[in-house]
Amino acid sequence: MRKPNEIDFWRGFALVTIFVNHVPGLWFERFTFRNLSLSDSAELFVLLAGWSLRMVVDTQDAGLPIWRLVLRLGGRAVTIYAAQILITMVALALIAGASILFDSPVVLDWHNAGPVFVNPVEAHVGLVALTHQLGYFNILPLYVVLMFGAPLIGLVYRVARPALLPISLTVYFTTLALGVNLPTWPVEGRWFLNPFAWQLIFVLGFELGGRDGIARWAQGHRMALRWLAAPIVLAGAWAALTHWSPDPIDVPDPKLIFMFDKTFLSPARVIHVLALVATFAGAFAVLAGWLPRLARYFSMLGRNSLNVFCVGSVLSLAGQLLRFQLGGSLGIDAIVLLVGLFCMGVTAWVSEWRARSAAPLSSAPQQA
Amino acid sequence: MARALCRALVLCAAAGLSPANALAQDADVPLSPQCDAPAALVPLEPLENAASSLQRGRVLRILAIGSSSTSGVGASSRAKSYPAQISGLLLQALRGVNVEITNRGVSGEVAKTAAERLKSEVALVKPDLVIWQLGTNDALARVPPAEVEETVSTTLDWLKENRVDIVLVGPQYTTRYARDPNYTAMREALRNVAAAHKVLYVRRFDAMQAIAHARASQEMMASDNFHLNDLGYQCMAEHIARAVVGGIFLRKFKPWSAGP
Repeated sequence: MRKPNEIDFWRGFALVTIFVNHVPGLWFERFTFRNLSLSDSAELFVLLAGWSLRMVVDTQDAGLPIWRLVLRLGGRAVTIYAAQILITMVALALIAGASILFDSPVVLDWHNAGPVFVNPVEAHVGLVALTHQLGYFNILPLYVVLMFGAPLIGLVYRVARPALLPISLTVYFTTLALGVNLPTWPVEGRWFLNPFAWQLIFVLGFELGGRDGIARWAQGHRMALRWLAAPIVLAGAWAALTHWSPDPIDVPDPKLIFMFDKTFLSPARVIHVLALVATFAGAFAVLAGWLPRLARYFSMLGRNSLNVFCVGSVLSLAGQLLRFQLGGSLGIDAIVLLVGLFCMGVTAWVSEWRARSAAPLSSAPQQA
Repeated sequence: MARALCRALVLCAAAGLSPANALAQDADVPLSPQCDAPAALVPLEPLENAASSLQRGRVLRILAIGSSSTSGVGASSRAKSYPAQISGLLLQALRGVNVEITNRGVSGEVAKTAAERLKSEVALVKPDLVIWQLGTNDALARVPPAEVEETVSTTLDWLKENRVDIVLVGPQYTTRYARDPNYTAMREALRNVAAAHKVLYVRRFDAMQAIAHARASQEMMASDNFHLNDLGYQCMAEHIARAVVGGIFLRKFKPWSAGP
């Protein structure tokens, strides 16, 4: 079990923020950084996922032959895929159960679940193929696609390291220029988080997570970057506070480059999240001193991020349903938040306890 | 009365002036017998931008946005959703015109989220006409009608500024919610905001209620008595197509010296 560190801390922070942001209208939403930022916890989460991948590739898998690295990364993708299917089924059951309990068919329409109940034949194919995603359950499908692409990233990293970021940027700008995205099915539409665009932030995290190249340069120029980032962070905060965004019709073509679009991860959002990283990198050392228990809690969540993310997603949906039925008062919202934080913490703790208990057993001599 | 007179005058003046106007004479969407309902339920407003776009080029680009009635929940296939059906009806009525319709319906969506999405979609799809179906989810989520009015009003202003026409489509008629006070209040709010902005509003609830009273045995709802079934979507498509065609060829009376 790792000691609390910066990456795990911010991952835990992102997980809690995602939980709060996924209960729209929750009273505590006003405290999330989305209100002061052009980017939100989704960007942070994917950036840190890329960062962790780099750390794994550099340390655990450093000596592996290429084909074994590919298998390891592919295996991780399958795990995330399984998690997505699991939480989608639980979410559908929550929605269905709520519609029975509240005697309200309108709940069945929530978050794109309508087709699953009314047009189940095609919708089930779509659910398994990830072409039919529930609202607020879009991050894991993106993560699955990115992880299935991770072997490619690992390959390029091993074979032609300098080409990785240029390739990523090319794909990104081509996507924004042409407006390409994966289609949804059976409902007509496009993926909410475009993997061709979001791979950029994943690759940026991958690059920044290393010890050489861009990461080393960034480390060497931290103060300069911090000064550069400050006006960007402030501009983003002002834009968020005043709800300002460029009018999509007025911007020049290709429009997606100038809009503040989440689906296509517009450059404004990428630049802003990088500015946030430049500003707050290193803050963990200070925070761990002031609020050690918070640092330990967030780090614990971050160490077990997949399990915590799954539980958090399901609980946020439960929170939405509860607020729908009972109304969103401060009391109800506080209960939703506390239950969520508690369950996520328990999930992380139990995951680590299981890992600890499994370790001595696996090295015990086999019984005849 | 004065309106009907103006309309008659416009149609007479338009007849025989230019090839595009020749369409006006017999452009119409016939209602099938199961979908027949009094025309007064859809008072026409002009769709000027769509009309002038049609005159400039032979393509009509439509963006359909809204919730489950737009995405087609309850229809037996994608081809039976109302946007897919409207495309065929408009092709027949507006002979020689290419109709491109993009469906961006998301089931369960409320007006506020749809309004945010609408701007990006309009910028990317560049439609001549937006068909926005809304109200049901807001009513049942107990969103205050005044808030929805505000959201819709802002969006209508933005669309007008950017010269994109819009047709609003209200909530469906279902015995489940016919007497729900939130539902009724939402319908009234939408009627008000459409009237205030002089925007075409398809009163789906009233049309469906009239049909239900006239032909009680006809089933237009899916088994959950909440979403439409194929017949419901067909009637919805016919009424909206009829409104669109009517709006395109209804022009405010202008003296001819001012030019077309």
